[in-house]
Amino acid sequence: MNQLIIDGVTKQFGALKVLQSCDLTVERGSVVTLLGPSGCGKTTLLRSIAGFVTPDAGRIRVKGQDISRLPPNRRDVGYVFQNYALFPHLTCRDNIAYGLVVRRVPKAEIARRVSQALDLIALAAFADRYPKQLSGGQQQRVAIARALVLEPQVLLLDEPFNALDAQLRLSMQVELRKLIDRVGITSIFVTHDQQEAMALSDRVAIMRGGRIEQIGSPLEIYDRPRSCFVADFIGRANLMPTQVRAGRTEGPQAIAAALPDGPATLVARPENIDLTPGSGPGWPGKVTFLTALGPVIEYEVDCGFSVPVRAALPRHAGVETFEPGALVTARIRDEAAAVVLPGEPNHA
Amino acid sequence: MSGPRQMISLGDRLARGMLIALTVMSIVLLVAPSLIVIAISFEPRGYIAFPPSGFSLRWYWALLERQQLLDSILVSLRISVMVMVVCLVLGIPAAFAGTRGRFPAKTAFNAFLLAPQMMPGMVIGIASLFFGAYISFRASDLMLVLSLSVFCLPFVVRIVMARLAGLDPLLDEASANLGAGKFETFFRVTLPQLAPAAFAGAAFTFIEAFDNVTVSLFTSDVRARPLPVELYYLVQFESSPLIAAISSLEIGLSLVVMLVIARAVGLERFGR
Ligand SMILES: Nc1ncnc2c1ncn2[C@@H]1O[C@H](COP(=O)(O)OP(=O)(O)OP(=O)(O)O)[C@@H](O)[C@H]1O
Ligand SMILES: [Mg+2]
Repeated sequence: MNQLIIDGVTKQFGALKVLQSCDLTVERGSVVTLLGPSGCGKTTLLRSIAGFVTPDAGRIRVKGQDISRLPPNRRDVGYVFQNYALFPHLTCRDNIAYGLVVRRVPKAEIARRVSQALDLIALAAFADRYPKQLSGGQQQRVAIARALVLEPQVLLLDEPFNALDAQLRLSMQVELRKLIDRVGITSIFVTHDQQEAMALSDRVAIMRGGRIEQIGSPLEIYDRPRSCFVADFIGRANLMPTQVRAGRTEGPQAIAAALPDGPATLVARPENIDLTPGSGPGWPGKVTFLTALGPVIEYEVDCGFSVPVRAALPRHAGVETFEPGALVTARIRDEAAAVVLPGEPNHA
Repeated sequence: MSGPRQMISLGDRLARGMLIALTVMSIVLLVAPSLIVIAISFEPRGYIAFPPSGFSLRWYWALLERQQLLDSILVSLRISVMVMVVCLVLGIPAAFAGTRGRFPAKTAFNAFLLAPQMMPGMVIGIASLFFGAYISFRASDLMLVLSLSVFCLPFVVRIVMARLAGLDPLLDEASANLGAGKFETFFRVTLPQLAPAAFAGAAFTFIEAFDNVTVSLFTSDVRARPLPVELYYLVQFESSPLIAAISSLEIGLSLVVMLVIARAVGLERFGR
């Protein structure tokens, strides 16, 4: 069952079209990530769902009920702010209790639910501290608990890990996912870190210029990007210009493509490119640069395209290594894993 | 790190010079007279002398026998508390509107709110008196409270506005998101964070209302004079250390209020 349906939401600030008929459907209990470059409207979409922004057009429905016209305090939607927005004059416990107090929940029940929430985020020992006496990660957990304790229909999180250092970020990502699974709450999560998106979510929605460009499971998006933008934005991709003729690409490797004749783009991930020394079937080129990343070595090979072809070769015995200047041939290892998109390459 | 001594900029030197000058000036003009007044108040004889010829609390005891003075202290206390309440009740919402509100002529509104501060108290006093006469409203306690409130309102408004401008507007959104309406958010989130500023504004208002002469002279009830006005008349006929004793008490009161503010908010948070 669909918990949240966003239907044609449009918002314009002055002359700037920030959301252009945005559609998004989120299933009950699943985690969707909004991923996109800065300024593409992620925060604005979240704020529209929470009611802080009034869309010019479109509908937002939660469990079938249209909430587009409700004021923010009457929507059953939790929001975790980027800088947490904890109340500085309230203790951790009172911050978490805030929504329950406002809802006039009986005192005993508040106490019970708040202490449950404190246990959930493992901060019971810090209950009587004020926000400024907590670390960034702890504050963030309080912000999440403050939203979760109300058991909202939908939880919105706007770049909740931005203020955390890399180490903490990683452990918090795992913690958050476990927490969400335990409570089973429908969540939308904003980030512009694609690894975070892949790690945390059931589905990833790629946003661009106020629209949702593609939505799917992390691997679907990675394996089957529907545009050069998505291919380039998620992971790294080689976008090679080609022509489709009679359902196949022209060039050294003819790859099946269900596209009309015309210019096209061959998309292949660096790990799907193999290099062999000298000439052979494939794209001839010259190694221009290499980066040893540990498990793999990444080569940049000039094959005569406007951008170098990237190849990531594993580093085990038997895999040849190349020096800059070496003449090589690049090939797509697994043709089925390559994607052919209509139109010329279009680098984001 | 800062460079060698000769690298100190002219601006810094000027600032340091000004700071020293200011310190010396405030010691000479503010602290020294206060100390002299306090010293004089312990004079055992019947006239003012410095240094005092001895130490006695005679004039403090004498104070207790001057019914008119005691009454005026009560009047002043009562008036000051009322002025403080009026300024808080009007000042906090006004500051809120002036900071958060979106309406035409907001700049003019803010200038208007703070205008009494630019005006000499005497002008406000005379204006109140004349206007009062025009609408047949005599100088009275109520008149005094109203005119002093006009005069003191900017204290509260300015301090509260400064604090409001520093509050995170996201907190209001967070509160709304958690289910609170506008009023509930104001009382649960905004007001508690304004409390120190409101408290400080109230304290300043109290001190100002308690020893204001310029406005009070024109608008107070002739039969129930507040302390500053009473003193003003008193010094014209009497020059005993009694005046010094009352002044010392007032200095003490101001100091206590300042200390309380300092404990509650920190003095350095003012003026901004
Ligand atoms: N209240 C507003 N008034 C005017 N313009 C706004 C307002 N809010 C957002 N914008 C503009 O809308 C665009 C999208 O903003 P938004 O905050 O939704 O982007 P975002 O995807 O969250 O970006 P980021 O990743 O940097 O947080 C930006 O160009 C921003 O300047
Ligand atoms: Mg954003």
